[in-house]
Amino acid sequence: MKQAESSLLPLEDAREAALFFVVGALCFLAALAALSAKSTYGAARAWTAQVEGEFTVSLSGADASAADMAAKLLAGIEGVETARAFSDAEINALLEPNFGQSGLPEDLPVPRLIAVTAEAGADDLGPGLSTALNAAGYTAAVDSHGEWAGDVRHMLSVSRIVALSIVALLSATAIAVIAFATHAALLARRDIVDVLHIAGAKDRFIAGLFQRRFWLLGLRAGTVGALLALASVAVLIALGRSGAERNGLLPQLSLDFHDLAVLVITPVLAGLAARLAAGVTVRRALRTVM
Amino acid sequence: MTQLRPDMFEEAAVRLDGVSLRYDSSEEILSRIDLVLKPGSFSFLTGASGAGKSSLLKLLYLSQQPSRGEVSLFGSATSRLSRDQLSALRRRVGVVFQEFRLLGHLTAYENVALPLRVMGRKESQYRRDVEELLAWVGLGERMHKRPETLSGGEQQRVAIARAVVTQPDLLIADEPTGNVDPDMAARLMRLFHELNKRLGTTVVIATHDLGLIRQIDAPVYRIANGMLVKESSAAAPTARRRTDPLKVMP
Repeated sequence: MKQAESSLLPLEDAREAALFFVVGALCFLAALAALSAKSTYGAARAWTAQVEGEFTVSLSGADASAADMAAKLLAGIEGVETARAFSDAEINALLEPNFGQSGLPEDLPVPRLIAVTAEAGADDLGPGLSTALNAAGYTAAVDSHGEWAGDVRHMLSVSRIVALSIVALLSATAIAVIAFATHAALLARRDIVDVLHIAGAKDRFIAGLFQRRFWLLGLRAGTVGALLALASVAVLIALGRSGAERNGLLPQLSLDFHDLAVLVITPVLAGLAARLAAGVTVRRALRTVM
Repeated sequence: MTQLRPDMFEEAAVRLDGVSLRYDSSEEILSRIDLVLKPGSFSFLTGASGAGKSSLLKLLYLSQQPSRGEVSLFGSATSRLSRDQLSALRRRVGVVFQEFRLLGHLTAYENVALPLRVMGRKESQYRRDVEELLAWVGLGERMHKRPETLSGGEQQRVAIARAVVTQPDLLIADEPTGNVDPDMAARLMRLFHELNKRLGTTVVIATHDLGLIRQIDAPVYRIANGMLVKESSAAAPTARRRTDPLKVMP
């Protein structure tokens, strides 16, 4: 009776089962960190784009009708999408934390505010707005929110670097663990390696056996880790949506094409890392023998 | 059957020139050994336990580099060969290890086929040959058993079948009868002799069993104090007359 060819390496043992668990856990953490990094990156882009496209103009010594005229003037400037003067009620609402609900004193010289929104891709409008208002005789100050946007960008770039560093660290740890496990597997199967070596197997043939074994191990462990990360993100999204009103400043977790790509790539990278580590380890070990 | 190539008669199958071997900083196990084995020759290597027989065999099957000197197989100085070339040279050598070194997760059939798989042969190409060889060594009915279920003698025959399945130019056997009864030992020796006569395989057998050596009229090399000395054949007159074609093992 014809029998299928057996692998020249024995089936997995307990040591590889432990390695499977470790690689799976590392892939889970790496995928989660990658998704977090990606969400943070997306949130940073959205926040800064939103902040950088808005201006607040304050007019001193102007009444409501003058503010409306100024808003119309600003709306006609190229690159301005909208310009809207704040109503008295809106200004009172902004100042309420300082003056209470009884309203502002009549004689208080409160500046009138105009909210300006720039068109997407418009150049820096701030100087143009100031020039136009001053030329029309207004005493105006334009706040481009640049300082606050800079702080946001800085904080988010630090967050991205931290997340990417975690991904890199976890990936490096996975590779190191796999390399260590491969070396242990090689030592445990030294008898097989010796027999193959003496039978005339080339280094790449022997390395190939271990590479195939660890490629599949990394792929399977990575898949399990990625699926667990997917499940975790799904839970986080569900929790996030249940408390949507209170998490406005947190990065919005979602699952789009890029997130799914991360989850697909994770096991492939784990498999490739395992294959690479196995190949290098075995070839290095074989070079110590004739 | 292996074709006898002209170069087999021009080059020594094995040539050791001033070969010494030491492990790390220990004393030399082998010291300035010169040896020439012609293609198609049959030789015994003997000596006391620990004298260095296995170490010398390691040099011959290219598992160990000498500390000094040169090992040449089939005219190729091994120190000048690349790793791939050394692998190619190893494929011309069959080895029967004293402890068999069968792979426990493979069947007898798969163990025997292992060198052919290493050579990149497809199972469809070698299946019949391997089955016939196993039948020839008396394991036709047990070829799909794993080594742990085979007796010592059966494992020995699997190891021998694995060593000869590629029809090597050089067959090296380290104490090949150390684990079998005298009757089985005699039958294995006849198998080696038949390979030598029929296929022109150069055979080197390491043993300290003088009874075994007396069965075949062949030169005997003795290792003592790290030196190699050639002795005359130890074959008994009655054994010398037994040069007729040997019977296949049951």
